[in-house]
Amino acid sequence: MSDATLTSPAVEPVVQPEPPRPHDAGSLISMRNIWKTYEMGSEKVHALHGVSFDIPKGEYIAIIGPSGSGKSTLMNLIGCLDTPSQGEYWLNAKNVSEMDDDELARIRNQEVGFVFQTFNLLARATALHNVELPLIYGGVSSAQRHEMAKKALAAVDLTDRMMHRPNELSGGQRQRVAIARALVNHPSILLADEPTGALDSRTSMEIMDLFERLHSEGNTIIVVTHEPDVAARAHRVVSIRDGLIEKDEKSR
Amino acid sequence: MRLDDIKESSLMAIDTLRANKLRSSLTILGVSVGVITIIFMVSIIQGLNKAFADQVESLGSNTIFVSKFDPGFGRPPGPSEIHRKDLTMDDAEALRREAPSIAGVSPIHRLIAVTTRYQNKQTDTPILLGVTPYYEFVHSQYVARGRFIKDLDMDNRENVCIVGVDVVRALFPYEDPLGKEVRIDGSPYFVIGVMEPLGNFFGQSRDNSIFVPITTFDKYYADRPFPGVVFFIIVRPQTRAYVKSAVDEITDILRRRRRVPINEKNNFGISSQDSLLDIYNQLTGATALVLTAISFVALMIGGIGVMNIMLVSVTERTKEIGVRKAVGATRFNILSQFLIEAVVLTAIGGLTGLVVGEILAFLINRYSPLPAYVPLWAIGVGIGVSAAVGIVFGLWPAWKAARLDPIEALRWE
Repeated sequence: MSDATLTSPAVEPVVQPEPPRPHDAGSLISMRNIWKTYEMGSEKVHALHGVSFDIPKGEYIAIIGPSGSGKSTLMNLIGCLDTPSQGEYWLNAKNVSEMDDDELARIRNQEVGFVFQTFNLLARATALHNVELPLIYGGVSSAQRHEMAKKALAAVDLTDRMMHRPNELSGGQRQRVAIARALVNHPSILLADEPTGALDSRTSMEIMDLFERLHSEGNTIIVVTHEPDVAARAHRVVSIRDGLIEKDEKSR
Repeated sequence: MRLDDIKESSLMAIDTLRANKLRSSLTILGVSVGVITIIFMVSIIQGLNKAFADQVESLGSNTIFVSKFDPGFGRPPGPSEIHRKDLTMDDAEALRREAPSIAGVSPIHRLIAVTTRYQNKQTDTPILLGVTPYYEFVHSQYVARGRFIKDLDMDNRENVCIVGVDVVRALFPYEDPLGKEVRIDGSPYFVIGVMEPLGNFFGQSRDNSIFVPITTFDKYYADRPFPGVVFFIIVRPQTRAYVKSAVDEITDILRRRRRVPINEKNNFGISSQDSLLDIYNQLTGATALVLTAISFVALMIGGIGVMNIMLVSVTERTKEIGVRKAVGATRFNILSQFLIEAVVLTAIGGLTGLVVGEILAFLINRYSPLPAYVPLWAIGVGIGVSAAVGIVFGLWPAWKAARLDPIEALRWE
């Protein structure tokens, strides 16, 4: 019996167990035998049981799974908000798994663009200022910042809404501001967590169309979702269940 | 940290303050009160000090004050001091003869509040001073019109007097006082001179005096005991450089004349301007210490207000902190953002406090006898201290914010 079946007896893994191999230098993301363990009192809870996979540059991938599957944990790890308890995570040829808080902040700033379900814009700042935020922490000069933020807002068709505050924008517009913020620094990956969860279906379609366009422009996009419609737009779908990869399918 | 970061953080801070106007103003008020307290206290103490130094200087340059009482301020002499042997005219004469560092000696008999009349006018407040012809030179106070007391007046115990301008104002509003006869405690005197005006000392006029020959004074008041009549000797040293040696010589001469045993303390008091200032500074030094403590407590309270509000702010903005961290803010970025916010709060409080404190000081100067003076360093201290309060009391909330786990913070609702 393999390690994986020992720790997660309920599910017969389809792809797992994968023999740990050295990280793929050609991949943008390379995860090797990633474990994430939380201590709840005296009990140890394994959120991830040795996950391994690769994402090449330019891929459009959806990560799906029911709640409690370890999907969010995996997303936090990919987004460098957290580090694995065990295993190696290489992002853009950097070993993220060994980094401290400040180095992780730097990686998030340079390599990851987040899109959240609830947009998470600064309420009292204009769209332009919200988009500038990563650049501020990236140490970009204010003139250059303006230029880059304007370009990013133009890319999501919000040039005429630059000086509006979030409460003056529709849900779809807010999410587009958030996407502009995610892309302004030209990160390696665009990491979206339920990006359409707070939007109506028509607006959701718009956002998904935008993702498609961004993908066609060469961006690597990772969407974490539990909506099959959203996942169906991706070119590869990774299903997580009980802390393991259950399926990994290329849809087109 | 770059200037850009500070600018960004300051703008954000001001924005946050605007978003929570009432809360922010209350916090600012707390800090202001602290700074106002500091400025207010400093201005009063400094004002008093400055006024005192100026006034002591104006009393006559570098004079030395000798009496049978120990020097002190507003402190009534103890019984042992009152029972000391009086200083005498002979002592004054001995000082003049024997002390080489001394340029002049002016023995003075003083009686407070003598009733003085001229025709139907009366004043009860003047101070009667029995003096010698040396008075003018020793005190650097001169007659403006007429003449001062001469040796002949002394020898003949003449009933002549020189009056200060306040007395002139009270008794001779429309007349020339020279040559007129006034009655002092019922005895007739001729006015032979008017002193030049001296102005005020701590809100008290120094021009409400009547000078008579000390021999004439003795004629009428020889049997008046202390505290009615006070005798003291004012000594003027050669120059300022001779103050110390003059004090030493006076001490030697008086100890010898009053037969003070070698191992006993002086049974008389000598104070120079410097020692007056020393005593005064000791007094205000103690006061200043108390006031500093009070200011400190006031600032502490303001600071606790700042800390409280910053903790609330951090909790309220947990999600925002999470977002900032997600897009790449380091712990230091977050820490400095909240620190700057706290400092902006306290700096505004400090500036408000400074302005209000200055206005208060101005009003006090204008409408009360207390002098108030805000030295430049107090302004610096006010700003510096309020900023320091911001840093000290903002540090813990800011550190709390900086340490937030980005995942937890993003999940916070």
